[in-house]
Formats: sequence, structure tokens, C-alpha cells
Amino acid sequence: MNPQNLLIPVLLPLLLALFSFLLPRGIKRLREIVSVLGAALFVYVAVSFFGGKETMLTLPWLGHGIDFELRLYQFSQFILLAVSGFTFLIVLYSTVRMAGNPRLREYYGYLFLTAAMSAGAVLANNFVPLVFFWEGLLITLYALITIGGKGSHRTAVKAFLIGGFCDFCMILGIAILWSQTGTLRLSDISVVPQGLTAVSFYLMMIGAVAKAGSMPFHTWIPDAAVDAPVAVMAFIPAALEKLLGIYMLSRICLDIFRLEVNSTPALVLMTLGALTIVLAVFMALIQKDLKKLLSFHAVSQVGYMMLGIGTAIPIGIAGGIFHMINHAMYKSGLFLAAGSVEQQAGTTELKKLGGLARSMPLTALGFIVCAAAISGIWPLNGFVSKEMVFHGSYETGYTIFTIAAWLGAILTFASFLKAGHSVFFGPRGLETAAVKESRSPIYIPILVLAALCVLFGVYNALPLRLFIQPILAGHAAPGEHLDFTAHALAVFNPIALISMGCLLIAFALHVFGFRRGGNKAYLASEPIHRLPVLRTLYDLAEARVFDLYEQGIKGLQAFSRFLFRFVDRPIDAFFEKFVVQIGRAATGALKAVHNGLYANYLAWAIGGLVIIVWAIGALTR
Amino acid sequence: MLFLFIIVPLVLAGLLPLLGKVSKRLLPDLLASAAMLFLLVLAVFSARPLIADGGIIQQAFWFGAPLNIRLLLDGFSLFMLFTISLVSFAVTIYSINYMEHYGAKANYYALLLAMIAGMNGLVLSGDLFTLYVFLEVAAIASYALVAFGRGHDELEASFKYLMLSAVASAFVLLSIAVIFGVTGGVSFGAVAQGLKTLNIKYVVGFCSGLFLAGFGLKAALVPFHSWLPDAHPSAPAPISAMLSGVLIKVSGVYAMTRIFLGVFGLTPALTTVLTVMGIVSIFVGALAALGQNDIKRMLAYSSISQIGYVVLAFGIGTPLGILAGLFHLFNHALFKSLLFLNAGAVEQSTGTRSLDKMGGLAKVMPLTAVTSAIGSLAIAGVPPLNGFWSKLLIIIALVQAKMHVLAALAVLGSVITLWYYLVLQHQAFFGKLNEAWQGVKEAPFWMSAATVLLALLCIVTGLAFPFVIQSWLQPAADVLGKGVGVALNFIGF
Amino acid sequence: MHLFLLIGLLAFSILAILSRDLLKSAISLAVASIFLALVFFRMNAVYAGVFELSVVAGLITVLFITAITLTRGDGDVAESRGHRIVFPLFFLALAVVDLLVMKKLLGQIPAIQGSESGTFSQVLWNQRTFDLVGQVGAISAGVLAVLALFRRDDRHGNAASDGGDTGGRHE
Repeated sequence: MNPQNLLIPVLLPLLLALFSFLLPRGIKRLREIVSVLGAALFVYVAVSFFGGKETMLTLPWLGHGIDFELRLYQFSQFILLAVSGFTFLIVLYSTVRMAGNPRLREYYGYLFLTAAMSAGAVLANNFVPLVFFWEGLLITLYALITIGGKGSHRTAVKAFLIGGFCDFCMILGIAILWSQTGTLRLSDISVVPQGLTAVSFYLMMIGAVAKAGSMPFHTWIPDAAVDAPVAVMAFIPAALEKLLGIYMLSRICLDIFRLEVNSTPALVLMTLGALTIVLAVFMALIQKDLKKLLSFHAVSQVGYMMLGIGTAIPIGIAGGIFHMINHAMYKSGLFLAAGSVEQQAGTTELKKLGGLARSMPLTALGFIVCAAAISGIWPLNGFVSKEMVFHGSYETGYTIFTIAAWLGAILTFASFLKAGHSVFFGPRGLETAAVKESRSPIYIPILVLAALCVLFGVYNALPLRLFIQPILAGHAAPGEHLDFTAHALAVFNPIALISMGCLLIAFALHVFGFRRGGNKAYLASEPIHRLPVLRTLYDLAEARVFDLYEQGIKGLQAFSRFLFRFVDRPIDAFFEKFVVQIGRAATGALKAVHNGLYANYLAWAIGGLVIIVWAIGALTR
Repeated sequence: MLFLFIIVPLVLAGLLPLLGKVSKRLLPDLLASAAMLFLLVLAVFSARPLIADGGIIQQAFWFGAPLNIRLLLDGFSLFMLFTISLVSFAVTIYSINYMEHYGAKANYYALLLAMIAGMNGLVLSGDLFTLYVFLEVAAIASYALVAFGRGHDELEASFKYLMLSAVASAFVLLSIAVIFGVTGGVSFGAVAQGLKTLNIKYVVGFCSGLFLAGFGLKAALVPFHSWLPDAHPSAPAPISAMLSGVLIKVSGVYAMTRIFLGVFGLTPALTTVLTVMGIVSIFVGALAALGQNDIKRMLAYSSISQIGYVVLAFGIGTPLGILAGLFHLFNHALFKSLLFLNAGAVEQSTGTRSLDKMGGLAKVMPLTAVTSAIGSLAIAGVPPLNGFWSKLLIIIALVQAKMHVLAALAVLGSVITLWYYLVLQHQAFFGKLNEAWQGVKEAPFWMSAATVLLALLCIVTGLAFPFVIQSWLQPAADVLGKGVGVALNFIGF
Repeated sequence: MHLFLLIGLLAFSILAILSRDLLKSAISLAVASIFLALVFFRMNAVYAGVFELSVVAGLITVLFITAITLTRGDGDVAESRGHRIVFPLFFLALAVVDLLVMKKLLGQIPAIQGSESGTFSQVLWNQRTFDLVGQVGAISAGVLAVLALFRRDDRHGNAASDGGDTGGRHE
């Protein structure tokens, strides 16, 4: 394949974005039609790239090893396919969900720009273009969040700043790596993280996991769930960011740095993952709004991915990566379903909803399948990938991680029982008037994703052999059998049995809470909410005490007030008195001298001539 | 084929007044724009392969019969042709809408095409006297264009411009006469050869001084700059863009550089004088621009300042300095014409050029505000736009040549540039919208198209600058770097 | 004889600048150009002399006098007094420097015979054809300038030929 073709996945969405920006607001249907067709074309391009040989495109750029390099290999083919697929589904969904939005032109434009930047980031083989595309995503995310309307500006800034800070860490890490290895080409680097390179590893890890939405960099996601349009939530935090963040993380742990089992960096990663799983799912449990609940789960599931990759054991890594794609599918489906409910019922508060399964059967079906997948119910895809992660973390020997993962599974299922029960089952809520099912562009993506969840679960050999195994080729110890399928679907091994026991515990918790709450589903999590220590912690969390960003902002504000009073004002006085006055005097003098008299001007010209001739004569030796 | 660069605009200029009687608007617009596009395409595609082995001399043909006209094309000439065609194209498109309210479009386009023919001829000439003649052609057309509106200010500005230019032409002619007398020839090759064998440093110094004064006036270097701040505000905006964007560079900087670097050879005396004139121009232009209230006058002083940078870079004489000077010349052509075209759009929409009276125009003229912001950031030297790279190269060249004081001063000048451009942007476009401008509309299509084109070029040149340097600038820099050797190659011209 | 012609040229040029009456100034210019034409004739540059006479002493003087007569308003031009003092001083200084420097410079110029020779028409048509194109261009530019500046205004209803308004006025 011609290496220049690698530019197509970046340029095609870019052109679509440009088209959307330039098309005047008045022309209604054309934009949607072109967008859907363009996204379909994008999928086609990604499919046609899939399975091809490894191709590299190198364009010399700034010298000193900073080149524009793209590389298509098994991993990037796979991610590119996923990116294009999600783009298509979200565009289709948006044709109905976002119709009538006053900023539609910019929405589609930024959507495609995000797709273009993601494609570039996925394909980049040199750190500088990678950073360029990575940063571009920050800007499009900011813009897309602000489309959500009033009040979204603050969240958009928050997302931007958190992302910017973490990207800065990543850039620092890249710089350190450059100084240690001397090259910026990703495919050429492979070091064991120790000493300074370990620092680089941690910094780049921060950048990658922050993008994916791990704690403690996650705090913008629940805010965005409220402020941003739900299609944006389904696209970026649910799908794209996980894809890109975990892709980056995998490359860091597999290719660029050779992570060793139970080495310090691996342990740090696993700990962070485990903490994310547990803490985020506790927060998710008590949420009263469907979108916020989903967003906390998005954070929590990242923990599984990090845990899996951090084990540095093939089955764990495969599990982590598989979990990434699975999560993207079912979380996106869940958000889309929430959007469908929001569109038809007008709200996503659990209190106000109920019994929608009768009136919105297709949405409910999609929701239930995806919820079951995320909870890890056999034989859906979530079960498979979670089992792989459990196995991997068990094999490291640190059982604490596995226990944390199981705790997470319990609470995940419990919170989805609560959510599903509140929204779709039970008596019809008072606020939900007679609602109908959504239109087809809305439920089709949900059902497609749900179907994929089933497919990837039941016939899991397909994705494992097609996508995951090629990535790990070369990383398993020789002789180790890379077939996970038998392993994964074997129901009767101790770990799988404990997982299923967790599900039963979760079910019991839900029923208990349901009865306690007076048969109201949305109160099912109250027993846990009201537990002694937890209650205080929850209250503090609601008050954003644990939100690093908010605390950081408060600290910065205090610091800036101090700087203003004691450093800025004095400097300003100096400039005002000294520099500006001098500038004004000089300007005034020049203005007075340029008085418009021709005679003066001519005198200057001739005087200049005389001086120049004399100077040249004097200087000529 | 190179002759087309001169003949096409000249013939069209001759025909347009007649055609203008038939069709007042459509035909002149169409023909002028098509001619400019043709020349641009010619410069980019057909003329490029010609310089593959260094310069060539091409004989012109008139319907098959050879004429005694030989045109010199080398990297430097081609680079200037490209710049001229690019800016002229943008300006011509812009004029489609802008000149509506002046009327007499056929006359306007005729003069514009005559000016372009003059500039192209200047760039393609291999001969001092031919250079002078085409200099005059372009100058005469420009006097009329500055006065095109026939108001009081325009006529006065044009008259002063004419009178000062006449003096400059006299200096140049005197110098050519002395050179002719000394070396017996006027072509670049003959002069270079003659000067090599003679030992007449002081005479050459005298002629250099005269050339510097003459072409320096055309280039608006201090102290010969005084006509520029009057000519620019009163001229129609596209003409200001042409003047600042190409004319002062072609008739001033190109001529000066061609002669000093390519024919006389750069002596240490010339280096000193050029760098001093450059640095003085930078500061006088920048400081004077600070206090201006009229947007176009501010831009005019800024041109003086930026030309100072170009001359400073050329004056250093090292290969990097020459490259930096050429790059800044190209960039300035792009962003200064962009800024002038935007100023024209603002003037046409609001009716005023006074910064005091403007305010918050970004809300009603968003596209103009964005392109103007791009132009201002580019000229102030903000990465990754093109101005940053060229200024950086100039400063690096200064440091490499051990002129540290000048480097520091150049940086200071850049800070002042940023200062007044921020003032301009803030006063005109941002801030609260002045109620008087509530009903103002965005600029018409062709005007916006021209400015968007130039803004995109600024961005692309900034991002892909290695590509630009390699394809256009390096051949020009090589030619100048070889110095007198190039002219000596073409003896017997 | 040469010296007499040159001094005459110089004297009438200075008169053209210094005189307060526009008409006298124009006529002095004409006389100065006649002297210059005579210098050309003495140096055997016949064509140059003819052009000088017909264009400067003839055409341009007629144009000036027509313009002056048509726009005669209040007679004398308001000018500063300073130039009466500055100019002679400057001129004297220039003359001294000129004499000193030029002697030295001219001494350095070696004698060279011209490599380009031929009759005037040969040179004009054959040897310097490119300049001819340029000169045609210059004349066209001039014609176009006149057409543009003296156009009948179809737009705003002002009368045409506004061009001579700022003849000698400074700010």
C-alpha cells in the first residue's frame, strides 16, 4: 500500500470538518447527509486498512529527528477501526439527537476534527506529531463541551486545564525520554524503566491514564455528564478517550518501556488502577442522575484496564486491552440509551423516571444488554475481559488487587441494578408522561453496540484472535500458549466462580436496599450510602473536597491574589512611569518632526545622501 | 515565454481603457483577475524548471521573429516574480469589490497592470539602464494610483511622493551615468567585469552612496522614508497593499540588493551602512507607529520598520543573513498586504480610519477580525506563524556574525512591534462594540476571499516553512551568495 | 565657452528655485534648459539636445505656463523666509566640497572607450530594444495616468479635472 495513503484517515475527517464549518447555517439536511456518508467512508477506509502489512510514512519536517511519521501496524489498525466505527455511530445518532441545536455547524465540525486528531494520534510514530494531535483533542473537547449550553463553559475550562496539565506531564516525560534515548521515533524505542527513564515512564503514564479518565484526573467527567451534550459524552469520555488513553498506555508498557512483572512501575500502575476501580464505583453507586452514574462508571472501568495492563502478564494485558474495546462499546451504548431517554422523557433523574421498558422497548433492550455486559455477566464481552483481568491480577501474586477488582464488580452490578430498575422497570414515574420510542437513528447505534457486546462475548475468539493476539505477538515468553479462548470461557474455575458469587451478592444488596427504601428503586443504594464512615466521606466528596482540581484552583486563586498585590502592582507602576513615558516621548518627537513639509523631507533625503557617501568613503579602506 | 510576464500586463493595460467603454465592471474584473492568475501559474509552474542549472538568459520572440531582448532569470528574480504575482493576484481579487465605490475600474486595472508590468520588467532585466526604465514605469503608474481618488489628501500625498521619487531617480541616473563612464557598459556582467579590473574604490563608493540614496528612497528607508506615511493612508487600500507589499520591495530592496550583492560586491563599508540604516529604520518606524491614530498610517510606519529588518539582514552578508532577509521580505509581502486589505475593509464598512472611533468590530466583522489577528500575530513574530521564523533567522544571523548589540536591538524592535499591533487589534476589533457600528456588515465576498487566502498562506508558510525555504528561497539565496560571480557568468549579455 | 554655458545653466536653475513669482520661475527653467541643450550640442549629442529643447524648453514650459495662468489665485506663494539664508549657505558648502572631492574622484577615473557604439537609431531600435519596451510602457503609464486622473466622474457628480489644485502649496 502506498505510504501516502496513511494520510487519508487524517485528511478525510479534516475535510468533512471543514465542509461542516463552511456550509452556511441555512442549508438543513445537507450537512447531516454528508456527515453520515463521510463517516461511512471513514469506516470503509479503516476497514480497508485492516489486515494489511505494516506501512510507514515518513515526511521530513523540522529536522533534528522531528519528522512527521505515521505507522500502520496491527494495533493502530485496530484502534483506527474502532475510532472510525464510533465516529459513524455517533454521527448517525447526532442527526436526530442534536437536530435543532443552534450550533450544529460547529458541532459536526468539531466532531470530525476530533476524529481527525484521533486518527493522527493513533497513527503517529514520532512524538512531536503525536503531541500535536493529542493537544488538538483538548481544544476540540473544550469546544464540544461548550455546545452544551449555559454553564458548560466552566466545565469545559476544567476539562481543558486538567487535560493540559496531564499533557504537560506527558510532554515532560517525552522530553526526558528523548534526552535518554536520542530519538523521537516511537517504533525505535524500547527501554526498561529505571532511574531517569522510570521518571519518564511515570510522567507519560500520567498523560495516558489521565486521558483515559483515571483517578485523580477524572473530576471533569461527572461535571461534563451534566453540562455537555450526551452525544459528546458517548463519543469522547466513553469511547475515544479510553481508546486513545489505553492505546497510549499499552504502547508505553509494551513497546516503549518493557514493563516487568511486579516491578515498581507495574505495582504503581496496578495500585492506581485498583484505587480507581473501587473509589469511583463507590461514587457511582450513590448517584441520583443516570448520566452522572454512567460517568463515574466510565472512570471506574478504566481501573480494570490499568490493572490488566499493569500486571505485565499476557492474559492480564490482553484482558486490559480487550476491556478497553468492550468498555468503549457498552459505555457508549449506555450513554446513547441515556440520551434516548433524555430526549423522550426530558430528564435523566432516577427519581422521576420509571417503567420505560414498556414504552421504549428497544432502548431498554440495548440498555439492559450493555448493563449486563458492564457488570460482567456471562456470556457477554464484559465477563470475558474481566475474567482475563482477574486471572492476570491473581497470577501476579498480589491478591489484594483481585479482591479490589471483585469489590468493584459487586458494586458495579448493584448500581446498574438500581439504574436499570429505576429507569425501565417498576411503576411509571409521575413526570414521565406518555413517551414513545425514539426514532431509528437513535436506537440503531444502541442496538448495534449491544449486538457487538453479545458477539464479542459469545464468539470471543473472533476479537481475541483478530485484534488482541497480534498486538501481543512478541511479548509473550517463548512457548507460552497465546490462546485465551479456552481459558476465558471456562466457567468452572475458581476465579470465575467467585466472580459469579459477587454478582449474587450484588443482587442481594440491591434487593435489600430496595425493600428498605420502601420499594423505590432509586433508593436501593441508600443503605451503603448511610454507613457510618462512608457517609461522611460521601458528604465530603459531594462538597468537592477530594477534587484535586477544585482545591488546586482555590489555592491558585489565593496565590494569584498575593502575587497581584505584592509583585504585579509594583512592576506595573515601574512600567507605567518609566517605559510608557519614554515611548510616548519618542513617539511625540517623531510625530512633531514629520510635519508634512516637502522641503523638510527633501532636506532629509539630500542630507542622508551626503552622510551616506561620506560614511562609505570614510569606511572604505 | 518570460517575456509574457511583461507583455501580457502591458498589452492588457493598453486595451483596458477601450474595453472599459464597453463593459464597465465585468470585463475589466474578469480580464485583470485572469491575467494575474495566469502570471501566478506561470511563475509557479513554468518558470521554475528554467532555473534548475542556475540562471538563464532567455531571448524574447515576437511571433516567431527574435527580438534583441534578453531576459535574465535566476533564483532571485524568480522569487521576486513569485512574490509579485501572489500579492498582485490577491489584490486584484480584492479590488473587484473594493473599487466599486471609486468607479472607473477599467482605468484602475490598466494602471495596476502597468505597474505590475514595470515591476516584472525590473526583475527580469539584466542591465542597469533597463532596470531604471522599468523602475520609472512602475513609479509613474504608482503616482497615478495613489492619487486615484482625486481628493485633496490623495493629490497632495501623490505629489510629494512624485517629487521625492524624482529626486531619487535623479540620484540613480547619475550613478548609472558614472558607472557607464567608468566601465563602458551598463549590463550587470560588463559592470562587474569592469569593476574587477579597475581600482577605483572611492568612485564605486560614491556610486554606491547614490544608489543607496535613490533606491533607499524607493524602499522607504530612513531618512528617505518620508513619502510613505502620507502616500499609504490616502491611497485606495489595494494600492497601499501593492505599494507596501511589493513595490517598495521590488523597486527598492531588490534593485539595491541585486546591485550591491550581485554587481558591486558587498564591502565592509556597505555592510556597516546597510546595517545602521536598517536598525535606524526599525526603530524610527516602530516608535512612530506607536503613536498613530490612523490605522493605515500606523501600518505604513510599520512597513518602514519591517523593511529595516530586511535591509539589516541583507547587510550582514552571510548566507544565513541573506536567506533570512529573503524570507522576511516574502513574509512581509504576505502579512502587510493582508493587514492593508483588512484596513481597507474596515474603512469601507465604517467610513473611518481613526482607531479612536472604532471598537468591538469583531462582533460585526468576524472574518476580518480573525484574518487581521492572524496578520498581526504573524508580523509581531508569534510562533508558529511565518513572521516568527524569519525574525528568528535574522536574529540568529546577527548573532552568528557577532553583531550582538544589533541582535538585542532587533529583538527590542520586535517587542515594540508586538506592542503596537496589540494596540491596533484591541482598539479596532476587540472590546465593546461602539454603538455607531451596530449595523455594519462583514466585508463582501471577494474582499474576504483575498484576505482569507493571504491569511492561509501566512499559516501554511509558518507551518511548512522548511518546504518554502527549500523550494523558493534557497535558490535565491544561492544566487546572492555567489555574489559577483553570477553577474560575471553572463558577460556578453 | 563650456564654462560659460555651465555657469549660465547653474545661474538660471538657482533663479528658478529662488524666485517668488511662479511665471518667472517657469521661464527661468526654460532658459536653463536651453543652456543645457547647448551643452549637449557642443558634446555632439545631437539627439539629446533636440529632445531637451523640444521637451523641456518647449512642451514642459508651455504646460507650466498654461497651468500657472489657469490657476492664478493670489499671486505670490506663502513661503518661509528661512530658505533665503539656508540655501546660499548650503550651496556654497556643497560647491566647496564638490570641487575638492570631485577633482580627486575624477582623477581616479581611467579613460575607457565605450564598447557599445552605433548611430542613435541603431542603438534605440536594435541594441536597446528592451529599453524601448520599457519606454513604451512608461509613456503608456503616463497616458493611463492622465486618463485616470482627468476622468469624467460618473459616480459622485463632481466635475472632472481637479488635478491642478495643489500646484505649489505646501502644508
